[in-house]
Amino acid sequence: MITEPASLSLTEVAQAIAQKRCSSREATQSCLDAIARWQPRLNAFMAIEAEAALVAADAADAAQANGGRCGALHGVPLAHKDMYYDAGRVVTCGSRIRRDFVATTTATALQRLKDAGSIRLGSLQMAEFAYGPTGHNAHYGAVHNPFGLDHITGGSSSGSGAAVAARLTFAALGSDTGGSIRMPAHFCGVTGLKTTVGRVSRAGAMPLSQSLDTVGPLARSAEDCALLLGLLAGADPQDPTAIAGPVPDYLAASHESMRGMTVGIPATFYVDDLDFEVARILDATVAVLKREGATIVQVELPDQRQLTAACQLVLAVEAAAFHKRWMIERPQDYGPQVLMRLQNGLAIPGVSYLEAMRWRGPALAAHLDAVVGIDAVIAPVAPTAAPTIAESDVGNGPDAEAVIQRLTRFTRPINYLGLPSLAIPAGFTGNGLPVGMQLIGRSFDEAALLRIGAAFQRATDFHRRMPEFV
Amino acid sequence: MADVAGVAVSADVAARIANSIGPAFEGFAPVAGTLPFDLEPATFSVVQAAKPSK
Repeated sequence: MITEPASLSLTEVAQAIAQKRCSSREATQSCLDAIARWQPRLNAFMAIEAEAALVAADAADAAQANGGRCGALHGVPLAHKDMYYDAGRVVTCGSRIRRDFVATTTATALQRLKDAGSIRLGSLQMAEFAYGPTGHNAHYGAVHNPFGLDHITGGSSSGSGAAVAARLTFAALGSDTGGSIRMPAHFCGVTGLKTTVGRVSRAGAMPLSQSLDTVGPLARSAEDCALLLGLLAGADPQDPTAIAGPVPDYLAASHESMRGMTVGIPATFYVDDLDFEVARILDATVAVLKREGATIVQVELPDQRQLTAACQLVLAVEAAAFHKRWMIERPQDYGPQVLMRLQNGLAIPGVSYLEAMRWRGPALAAHLDAVVGIDAVIAPVAPTAAPTIAESDVGNGPDAEAVIQRLTRFTRPINYLGLPSLAIPAGFTGNGLPVGMQLIGRSFDEAALLRIGAAFQRATDFHRRMPEFV
Repeated sequence: MADVAGVAVSADVAARIANSIGPAFEGFAPVAGTLPFDLEPATFSVVQAAKPSK
């Protein structure tokens, strides 16, 4: 008998259900109980579908009792960022404009998790149209950090970060265009995987920037992310940008030691102007990696400021292009900050945008040359732990874009290069706020990141710490 | 009112846009205007798919 199934990891609860040590109903009810306690404080859920979830859980239990199992996540309750289309359901994308939008298709990523047997708890809050790194939302309110309710969760996958941290769902899909998985993972003390561009189908996921958007999970461990990526990855006829070819055994990779792996520490940029606690935790993380058998080397990366600038040009233009019709017809229905950022994209010349797109290949080649022989580069996700909701509520003021760019300066270069990056909990500040580090890999080499991240988590317990409900 | 790419915006908004995206142009300035003639965006996919050297 498991007393509190919601406290298990995704892999643990999936095994417990498969081995009939826990029923899907018990796991689902445990999550619903946690949601009932936390939701008034966190605002992590956009919609809670308790009755439907319990009906689905009972059906999963009945199917299993009759000898039927439909996959690795049989009977596991999950909730995802409210931007994954689910046919017949409202998908708000965190916006007023799509408050009543009913999807007619189901996102490939979501369908693959359904096909593996997962059931739906509801949908999770997010930044409006996934265009914001803090977790504020002008229409539905800010999501609160379970480790400090006055602090931000990070965004745009704000509800995903908070819900996984508070053990309201075993895992959640997020999306990462400029840092939107890694920021909430860092601020909320969970594990988040930004995948390589092309690794996971984006069909049926709300677009923000077709060149930069990536789909990936937030979960309680690297092992959980490995399980999910194995289900999510692979070719998709609905998304020609999703690459074909065999999907590596990520779960097996996550069970290997990090002995023989080489981790690079950037000589500049990612180690500059860090809050002293983030700097302390970076040093401590490197010490654990070394102790666990990784070889540590210093790495000179190309100028990351040019990459962040190029990322901003591409993202701003592509987002503005997606939204132009609504910007003309319904500007009053956007939150002030999102409208401001969308308007920025209108003023960037086509030539500048195309130069930024043309430079992407040489920039990636230069990065890969710099990391020859290195399996992952370690870097902070952000220079500080979570700021307060009040101090980061910059709206559409004159300095808003500068504040946003400072907050995301360590994540955007990776989006521009399309690389994978795994954010892992690495420590806590003196006042109890989580701090994460990112392991940045080579294109399509998520396996190396999951291997190093999972080995780090076997040697530490930061990812197991749960926020106190007080 | 100004007009930016076919969308009407106020003069205040136009000024704010310039303030917001100025740093991106400055950051990208060392690259802008330096790219070789034959370089096209699809190069990214080619580099991405290349076997890693170790």
